[in-house]
Amino acid sequence: MTSLSTHRKLLVHDLGRRPYAEVLELQRNLCRARVERRLDDDILLLVEHDPVYTLGRGTRDSSLPVAPELLRKRGAEVFEIERGGDVTFHGPGQLVGYPIIDLAQQRQDLHWYLRELEGALIDALEVLDIAADRNPGKTGVWTGGRKIASIGVHVKQWVTLHGFALNVTTDLAWFDWIVPCGIADVQMTSVGRELDTTGNSLKDIDLRAREAVVEALGRRFGRSPDSAALPTL
Amino acid sequence: MATKIVMEALSPTMEEGRLVEWKKNEGDAVAVGDVIAEVETDKAVMELVARVAGTLIKQEVEAGATVPVSDVVGWIGEAGEKTGGKTEKVEEVERVERVEEGKKEEKAGTGEKPEKAEKKPAEEKAEEQPAETKAEKAEQEAPAERPASAAGERVKASPLARRIATERGVDLSGITGSGPAGRIVQRDVEAAKAGPRAEPATAPAAASGPTGRTITFSGEPFRDEPLSQIRKTIAKRLVQSIGPIPTFYLTTVVDMERATEAREALNALGEGKVSFNDIIMKATALALVQHPACNAWWQDDHIRYWNEVHLAMAVALDEGLITPVIRHADQKSLREIAAEAKDLAGRARERKLKPEEYTGGTFSVSNLGMLDIDEFTAVINPPEAGIIAIGRISENVVPASEGLEVRKQMKLTMSCDHRVIDGATGAVFLRTLKRMLENPLAMVY
Repeated sequence: MTSLSTHRKLLVHDLGRRPYAEVLELQRNLCRARVERRLDDDILLLVEHDPVYTLGRGTRDSSLPVAPELLRKRGAEVFEIERGGDVTFHGPGQLVGYPIIDLAQQRQDLHWYLRELEGALIDALEVLDIAADRNPGKTGVWTGGRKIASIGVHVKQWVTLHGFALNVTTDLAWFDWIVPCGIADVQMTSVGRELDTTGNSLKDIDLRAREAVVEALGRRFGRSPDSAALPTL
Repeated sequence: MATKIVMEALSPTMEEGRLVEWKKNEGDAVAVGDVIAEVETDKAVMELVARVAGTLIKQEVEAGATVPVSDVVGWIGEAGEKTGGKTEKVEEVERVERVEEGKKEEKAGTGEKPEKAEKKPAEEKAEEQPAETKAEKAEQEAPAERPASAAGERVKASPLARRIATERGVDLSGITGSGPAGRIVQRDVEAAKAGPRAEPATAPAAASGPTGRTITFSGEPFRDEPLSQIRKTIAKRLVQSIGPIPTFYLTTVVDMERATEAREALNALGEGKVSFNDIIMKATALALVQHPACNAWWQDDHIRYWNEVHLAMAVALDEGLITPVIRHADQKSLREIAAEAKDLAGRARERKLKPEEYTGGTFSVSNLGMLDIDEFTAVINPPEAGIIAIGRISENVVPASEGLEVRKQMKLTMSCDHRVIDGATGAVFLRTLKRMLENPLAMVY
């Protein structure tokens, strides 16, 4: 849309499986560095977390019917964080992405940003043969009335942090302990559940999902994705 | 001099934001760049950042409050200084915000001029200017069906509310605003436009015949309609009563004498056979164009009214059944439908259909007449809202003007998802379909 963004890079860092706290600190640092212009490029962190429930700023009491101690007992961590939205879960088999993008150089419109994130995930799912859609009024990505990806962002002086979580082969039972995104009766789903996975190894699906998401995000934001080492701050 | 902290627009269409958390308490020292508060809209949180240094002397709203864009949420000044209050103006106020580097750039898509970003919050009137320009522009692009409010009379409405009103042909002058100072905001327009939808349900007399709304070929494949309160309640109550898809059934007897004659005449042309099923599908597609309320998908929190007719037809397989779809069935000739139906059914039995050929129907037809079934009820194929079950054509003795006569008759039974289709809505559709079949010329009328 904006011509000046067409040749900008999106540095993609695939962190593999990492605990939540470590990556939270990393993205906060990267965001700060971007705000202070110590970083010139926008960044996309990709990560798979150990089981964790995160509570956004919009979390209602009713969204967490189970005491946090009980969730911890089940082997998940619990964090209260600065992103928008209600409670959600991250864990193995889920592709989590944290774009650190300076919207001041792109378009200062958070609704536009949310819709573009959704659009990129919908594009990526199409590549995987899953017809996904937006659900007006309910940020996230849906397929057949089931929620396949969650979105929650935070903006610090127009630089984004937090982002999206796409269920690829996630064990959806983890969502049973919460009211995901505060939407009662929401049914969660995953790429693996929507696709006929016979003949494809889960590893393959995971890889294809990763590639599709990176490419779709690059296209949506007019960037050329580029994998590079993490910048030293 | 105290400086205002105002609710910032996180996007050009945002009308109000929720102040989720104060990061500074009253009396706290504030440095330039400090985060004073966090604002949430949708699923995004943004920080309100101080552009001047001083002391947070007053928080005008509590955490959790929803505040219109540009309204004052707090003040920064010297400790002990007096503030201007929530509404009072302070001279030369400065907006507390990050310098917007990108503001020279016209915001894509909205057509907004950069001046908007530079407007001073003190000039509240200025906000109405772009709103009017935008509404006028939209009217030029898409002429509203109804005239806007009476000339000269100013209606206070937010830019978004105006845009939605223009898009949907809602007259703003008839709406009471629930926003600040009676300003009409998005929710008011949304509530107002929910009204007309209920008409066909509550006034079946008005729905007599194809004179009401018909599908308009706007270029959009469908139109999503949020659920009105009455639709939500109907949906909830009926699901409790009968199951996930609260279905009811409507049956009508159709005289098939003329359809039989028409079919014989067409087949005598020797250009490919036309079946009764083809004729019924053609008629169904055309009847749906006249009754779009039946050409819809239940989508849990809204109803999708299709502007295109994609007719699914149930085809029995050795094991089970499949529903290939004749796309844009309303726009195809009887001969095209006959050829396509034959091809789809043939390939369905050979299991050679591609997924896109048996998904995406907007309404279904199921026929067991060839198996000598007089009438039956078909199961709705969700998210579609209706299906027609076709029975066999039988010869029956019926009263005639003089005595009795034997006529060919067929029973049609429509299954309706009551969350989408009400009794009268389904009935008028079925009546149109019946009339078309009884007088096939109506299909070309």
